Amino acid sequence: MIRALGGALALLAAAPAPATDQVTPIGAGWQPTDKDERGLWLEVDELERKLRTSAFVMRDPALNAYVRGVFCRLVGEAACAPVRIYILRTPVFNAGMYPTGMMVINSGLLLRMRSEAQLAAILGHEYTHYTNRHVIQGFRDLKRKTSLMTWLALVPVGGYAVAAALTAAQLGMIASVFTFSRGMETEADAGSVPLMQKAGYDPAAAWRVWEQLRAEQDATAAARRRKSRKDADGGMFNTHPPTAERLAALKELAAKHPLAGPPDDGAARYAAALRPWWPALVDDQVKLNDFGATDFVLGKLAEDGWTPDLLYARGELYRSHGDLAQAAGFYRQATEAPGAPPEAWRGLGIVALRSGDEDGGRAALGTYLKLKPDAADRSMIAMMAGETN
Amino acid sequence: MRKVAMLAAALALVAAPAGAYKLVAHGARVAVAKSEMTIDPPIDWNRQQSRPGRNAEAWTLDGIPLNEVTFYGGIEGGKALFKEVDRKNKPLPVFKSTMLTPDVVQLFEASYRIAGGSSLFEVGAVEPAEFAGHKGFRFRYTFTLEGEEVKRLGEGTGAVVGRKLWLITYEAPAIHYFDHNLADYRALVASARIPGPQVTVE
Repeated sequence: MIRALGGALALLAAAPAPATDQVTPIGAGWQPTDKDERGLWLEVDELERKLRTSAFVMRDPALNAYVRGVFCRLVGEAACAPVRIYILRTPVFNAGMYPTGMMVINSGLLLRMRSEAQLAAILGHEYTHYTNRHVIQGFRDLKRKTSLMTWLALVPVGGYAVAAALTAAQLGMIASVFTFSRGMETEADAGSVPLMQKAGYDPAAAWRVWEQLRAEQDATAAARRRKSRKDADGGMFNTHPPTAERLAALKELAAKHPLAGPPDDGAARYAAALRPWWPALVDDQVKLNDFGATDFVLGKLAEDGWTPDLLYARGELYRSHGDLAQAAGFYRQATEAPGAPPEAWRGLGIVALRSGDEDGGRAALGTYLKLKPDAADRSMIAMMAGETN
Repeated sequence: MRKVAMLAAALALVAAPAGAYKLVAHGARVAVAKSEMTIDPPIDWNRQQSRPGRNAEAWTLDGIPLNEVTFYGGIEGGKALFKEVDRKNKPLPVFKSTMLTPDVVQLFEASYRIAGGSSLFEVGAVEPAEFAGHKGFRFRYTFTLEGEEVKRLGEGTGAVVGRKLWLITYEAPAIHYFDHNLADYRALVASARIPGPQVTVE
């Protein structure tokens, strides 16, 4: 299945960017007109039905209200009202807006944005894919280029897949099927910048997002001693490859759409809205075993200073990477700052024990247990700390 | 390990092929996971024919999605717990012989998150436990796989002996199945023998 999908995508990628079909831009109240579009809507409606009850949806009302607020400021209340936004606990950078008006945003995207303006850039980009009806164009294009059999293999047609209540994975699959052409990406970028200008967001945030993602791809590749795939389609950002060309075009667009007043990037508002979630989202990222990208993302989050939470996360990253000396340093810095998470002492103790410093290790683990008396790993850590029950 | 197999099954829309399991009859000690670990099962189990990893093996009573026991037989330093799902883009973390229990639990969690696409994975209690006559550990966990939505509970029991990781895990849906077969799993763990200085001589 995965191979079949890859094959079809390779076919798409190999083909020249399709001339954009002349389609009417979508608006509120749009209803599908032909068989293709009706079928697609049925699939997406079914997905949304499952998504509504998915354990992966982050339901925090404050976070949802914040993201919706940014989207509404960007596109206006009338366009915003019918759109349903789902935030998924998935530590991968991605977002998508489906033809029915369903928008999906991954937590991995939220972790990476540095400001409200950067989030707005992505939302505007997705919204333009939606208004320009790129999904249905991509769907028809794919149908033209692949045989019926391949097509049937791509689309979940029932049976086990439906019974298994696929949600996030299926969304990812559909999103992959509808990989947009470069022409569509250009259109979406071109649509997002005027929206940002109109809403008063700094249009330069758009190219900064992609610049940052390109640097992250370099960091992943460097740590894995591989060539960076940032200028190739595919990889982590396979539905939105941030190529050098796109970055240059976005810089030009930003220059053509200057703000009348001082730019608002809303970095402080963004940080405040995401703060309650950052430790959990950082933890999700650390556990992905992508050392380069994670160290890069932590560094970006720490641009205004290394907080104890970020130092602890960096300690966890280096410990899982096997670099115990560096990990100990980060844990120690965390424990020396006010408000450090108790787990920083736990980390410090573990690396000390692994490095042969038994006294130091036991002392740090003892501090962890004092600070977190109800720890789930209490009895294990107590044994390692040499405490008797 | 069900993760890879189940994801593949869900994506490929195919049922498990006939002959996917072989009977493991009770009453005879068997070597598991292509290793020196042996088990004396008190009841009959079914062995999944496809191996989750070079030194791993999965058993079930009613089908892998309902109850699954996985044996990891002496994972060496530098090796992942199970087969890579996408070595190039999502490489699995590897075991290191100097790892302490918290490191092993973290390795296990990261492996599941990567292989199963499970961002909903939580480690519960971690405690010391005897394993095959060695000082080891036991831990609890819960997780939900992307695209499946079934909440599962898990328990793992193991030890690092002879610079290798020996581990037996059990997973089942939180509703009904986990509690129903927990004792059957613990009976397997109690029968486990692995090589080492404290191994019992028959």
